[in-house]
Amino acid sequence: MIKVTPEEIKVLSKYVADISGIFLDQSKAYLIESRLGSLVEEFGCTSYREFYFKAKSDASRSLEKRIIEAIATYETSFFRDTYPFELLKYKILPDLIDKRREKSPNFFPVPIRIWSAACSTGQEVYSIAIVLKELLPDLKKFNVKILGTDISGRAIARASYGEYNKFEIERGLSEERLQKYFSRNSNAWKIKDEIRTMATFKKQNLMKPFTGMGKFDIIFCRNVAIYFTPRDRVTLFNKIGDVLEPDGYLIIGSTESLASICPKFEPKRYLRSVFYQLRG
Amino acid sequence: MTSKSYLGEQTMDNLKILIVEDDPVTLKLIEKRLMKVGYKVETAKSGVEAVDLVSTRFFDVVVTDLMLPGGVDGIDTLEAIKAKWPETEVILITAHATVDSAVEAMKKGAVDYLQKPINFDELILRLQRISTLKSLAKDANDFREAMNVTEKSAAKTIQDLEIMVSELQQSCLSAKNLLSDQDIEINERVRKAIEVLSSRLPNLLETSKA
Repeated sequence: MIKVTPEEIKVLSKYVADISGIFLDQSKAYLIESRLGSLVEEFGCTSYREFYFKAKSDASRSLEKRIIEAIATYETSFFRDTYPFELLKYKILPDLIDKRREKSPNFFPVPIRIWSAACSTGQEVYSIAIVLKELLPDLKKFNVKILGTDISGRAIARASYGEYNKFEIERGLSEERLQKYFSRNSNAWKIKDEIRTMATFKKQNLMKPFTGMGKFDIIFCRNVAIYFTPRDRVTLFNKIGDVLEPDGYLIIGSTESLASICPKFEPKRYLRSVFYQLRG
Repeated sequence: MTSKSYLGEQTMDNLKILIVEDDPVTLKLIEKRLMKVGYKVETAKSGVEAVDLVSTRFFDVVVTDLMLPGGVDGIDTLEAIKAKWPETEVILITAHATVDSAVEAMKKGAVDYLQKPINFDELILRLQRISTLKSLAKDANDFREAMNVTEKSAAKTIQDLEIMVSELQQSCLSAKNLLSDQDIEINERVRKAIEVLSSRLPNLLETSKA
């Protein structure tokens, strides 16, 4: 296995941060070697230096995509941390629906727009969709759109396909929900169409502008900013503020903080979780 | 020699194995060999007997012949096991002519297949691999559990601080506004600002205790 030198780490981590926002400091040599090592060999490079120049000079940017896919973390699970989904079910959605019903005429379906930023392989998106399905038996009265985005094209493709192996379904799904919302196909479980159709998936680099995305009532941006530099976190949450409805809701990772990053969001407590709203 | 070295490697390994084989000679041979290595082994002479056994008991690995008499063959046995215990690994033993069915069986969840005549070293290597995978999966679960516990307790602290900081920011802001309000007499401004700031203190202490 080819070793990465401290000098190469510097150059590569700047490059990776530029293309993805993901920040790798000097201590992450093991991460670079374990995640990029096989790519370096696949592209016939004898050093990380050569690999870097190859990626930089590749006009098709296909190597850049492969690097992003290799360096990203895909850790996710159905109903991860549990509390945010209870928060969604018992606080956010009831409050939001009350507010939206007042605004929209009776005969129109009530619009609910949700964005799962950095959705990885889709578990968060489908967990949100399942909560909606369970809370609102008559979904026809609502115009629900859940958008899942991720920087990795491969993750988005898997999310869109909606099929999970036994290790993935073992994490976070009750037997009841598994039977109800998934169909088994030998060793894999596929999300049923009634849930699948509530979601749209798109590739999106959170470092790039959020043009043409419209506004959202609820945004989940959990455990992704932790990989960014503090400066990139500020930029990200300010941009999120711009695409969130003035009375919308933001949910971040359970160990993340916005206090020193984006004071325009006000933290609010509900039972064992915290959510954020734009200050009035 | 070989079995001794296997024995050495296997002492930590407590796989419970069920062997399903209708030929009593082969059955005895596999049983003896695996027990010598240190595995806990049980046997069944037919698919019917195997399905009956697994209906109440868990095995880490089931090694079954593909061709079994009595209407319940290796594939049926595999399906019954997987329905009851998805985490049980099934290895099929097949004659050369039935390799296609073995591949079919792997699509149905079998982990591996071996061709007759059985090469015991090969069987033991496969079992070791299963055992390694099982212990890796257990490690991963342990790490995840440890991470969850740490994350939960960190989350509580961070969320409490988050609310506390936000409240402090707000009271500092109102104190600042009060202090710069030219319409109020200076002593009164200071008195009110102190009031605003100190009114937060009991709340903050409560939050940090909660």
